[in-house]
Amino acid sequence: MSLKRTFFGKTGDVVIHQPLESINRVRNLTQAYSQAPWRRQVQYIGWFLSLLVVAALIAGIYLSVTARTATVGREIQVMHDEIKLKEREIEDQLTELALLTSNTEMQKRAGTLGFQPVTSDQIQYIQVPGYRHPRQVVLANPPANQVPSAPSLSPEYTQSLFEWLRERIFEPAAPLLREVRP
Amino acid sequence: MKQEQSWRIHTIGILLTVFALFIIVQMARIQFSPQADILRDRGRTRVGYYETIIPARGQIFDRWGHLLAGNKTIYEVGVVLAEVENPNTLALAVNAVTGADYEDAFAAASLKPSDDAVYAVLADFVTEEQKARLEQISKEMDTAYTQGKNKEKPSLAGLRFKPHLQRSYPEKDLASNVLGFVNREGKGFFGIEERFNDELAGDPQKVWVPIDPNKVEELRDIPEGASLILTIDREIQTEVEAILDKAIKDNGAEAGTIVVMDPRTGDILAMATTPRLDLNEYWHYDEVFVDSTPFNRGVSKAYEPGSVYKVFTMAAALDSGAVKPETPFLDTGLIEVGGLLIRNWNWGAWGPQDMLGCMQHSLNVCLAWVSTQLGANRFYDYMQRFGIGHLTGVDVASENPGRLKIPGDSDWYEADLGTNSFGQGVAATPIQMVTGISAIVNDGKMMVPRVLLSMIDKGQQYNTSPQVAGMPISAETAHTLTEMLATSLEVESSDALVEGYRVAGKTGTAEIPTPFGYTSNQTNASFVGWGPVDDPRFLVYVWLEKPTSSPWGSVVASPVFRQVVERLVVLMNIPPDEVRNRLMESQ
Repeated sequence: MSLKRTFFGKTGDVVIHQPLESINRVRNLTQAYSQAPWRRQVQYIGWFLSLLVVAALIAGIYLSVTARTATVGREIQVMHDEIKLKEREIEDQLTELALLTSNTEMQKRAGTLGFQPVTSDQIQYIQVPGYRHPRQVVLANPPANQVPSAPSLSPEYTQSLFEWLRERIFEPAAPLLREVRP
Repeated sequence: MKQEQSWRIHTIGILLTVFALFIIVQMARIQFSPQADILRDRGRTRVGYYETIIPARGQIFDRWGHLLAGNKTIYEVGVVLAEVENPNTLALAVNAVTGADYEDAFAAASLKPSDDAVYAVLADFVTEEQKARLEQISKEMDTAYTQGKNKEKPSLAGLRFKPHLQRSYPEKDLASNVLGFVNREGKGFFGIEERFNDELAGDPQKVWVPIDPNKVEELRDIPEGASLILTIDREIQTEVEAILDKAIKDNGAEAGTIVVMDPRTGDILAMATTPRLDLNEYWHYDEVFVDSTPFNRGVSKAYEPGSVYKVFTMAAALDSGAVKPETPFLDTGLIEVGGLLIRNWNWGAWGPQDMLGCMQHSLNVCLAWVSTQLGANRFYDYMQRFGIGHLTGVDVASENPGRLKIPGDSDWYEADLGTNSFGQGVAATPIQMVTGISAIVNDGKMMVPRVLLSMIDKGQQYNTSPQVAGMPISAETAHTLTEMLATSLEVESSDALVEGYRVAGKTGTAEIPTPFGYTSNQTNASFVGWGPVDDPRFLVYVWLEKPTSSPWGSVVASPVFRQVVERLVVLMNIPPDEVRNRLMESQ
């Protein structure tokens, strides 16, 4: 089959109409299914706005989390100061209590209330079955009762996302989600 | 036209690219420049700061949990230099209220604020009351002078109070010689405070304190210093100190010491000595302890104990079999040992005696003879076994080992054997005497004296165990000697006897050596005693230095022993022997 030459406008001896019609048809079809320029612009604007919204969302979430972190951080700082203050108050009050119950003070109070030191001939001894006079004071647990100390913050509060993922990957038995300790 | 536009666009593009490159290069240059480190450091100072956290010093309790040494809040007074309006007013107020030096405070408050000078300290160790007074003055000034800012306006603007802890002793001078004190730098001096300074002080740590709340970290757990529970009984210590003070006053003595030990464990229940210091005002130390007076005579002052030392000589002789209680001795009032003539305390001859009589009448001649029967080697071997001349290991700072010359020492002579037998020419501390004699009281077992009963570290209480320092004599010897000494007190109707309780003991009167020999008529009067004889619960050592009422231990020190025991039996719930035996039989 030989290729026929087609001319637009100026033709040779023979003008063949059939291919020109086909071209027009294709052009019409293309035109019919192609986007209008204004539509394309709207699409671009849409994409841009979508990206903007996503970025704003991310920024908003980041801002919210950061603000909460900062608030909690500040609260922790305040609590640190409170701990120091309480520790000092405890020391002060223990010393104050010791001053109020010091030997001199207690003797003074006993004297004011009319008590006198007892002498050995004024004492009556009786036997109390099962009573054992303590030999010394116990102010803390003995070492045998040692309870292993747990970290005060659970890992959920200290792990980074990557650490959490790594732990999940290397410990496949561990559930992906678990209840956060209060 | 199109070409022209393209050229312009290209030019702008190139310019912007160059500008962007310039910014990138500049950023890199700043990052790696020498000034970058300075900038980073400056940045860090805005993010947080390093703080040295000094943990609270551990507390000290008596054996029943009464606080003997604690902590209380005091304040450092400083100024934020940028806020200072009138340095003169600040310095005047701080000087008037706290007693801090005006010139120093003024110079500090006048510093020009800069990056390096932000805050200045005006005074430290300011009490809660002084702080309240300064705050009140500040408030009154703010109310009285309200017109704006000017340099003439009286103002305490910029004043800050930084709290920290300081040692506090609620019982003031009670057991001060045992406790020691802590200076403003937090270092312990003398006694328990020095001996256990590291444990009490804890471990100060430098920590990063973020200012940026986003960088806040979990507080590092810095444990406070370990707390200590002592063997000291506050009530017994109080009574013993009162008895000692009265005895010194009544007898015109220069100083005194009383040590009370539980012979079964070596627990020091009380250790009273003079002088004592209100530990809350430790800066008066120089005024109280003049002329190198030891802080605690009980552990730091060795002296020639005199006749109380005869207990060791007799114990050694009985244990080695050199003599028996019934061994006869004819006292002629004079004996020569190593070329030295030794006489009795009254220069008299006491005639036929046995060993009980020798101890009862405290005969120097007899004991010198006993030492010759033992021989120098055995005698000094026993003395060393009793710990004479060695540290006892008591857990209080500044212990003195005393001095025991032994054969082979350049300054030992044969005559020393005779004089040492009755406590002359040998130096021992009261704690050494008590430790050695604990063997006689405790079935031959000599206990290491201890003051530390328990340590509380990181929330756990670790109790110490009684330790046996050795067994210099057998239990049989210990019982025999105790019986001899109890009988001798009863026969003598000693002032040391306590109604209802059988006690054993020995007096001691020692001349005080001077550079020219024993020429002084001043003495050291001592008494050592224990009881109840069949179940000893206490061992008491009394030492009065240079009493003027009487030089004799039997007159001066024996009644003090009785007074101490009369209080001890009440405070330690020890029933009279008869009652105790009846109760035990009914069990």
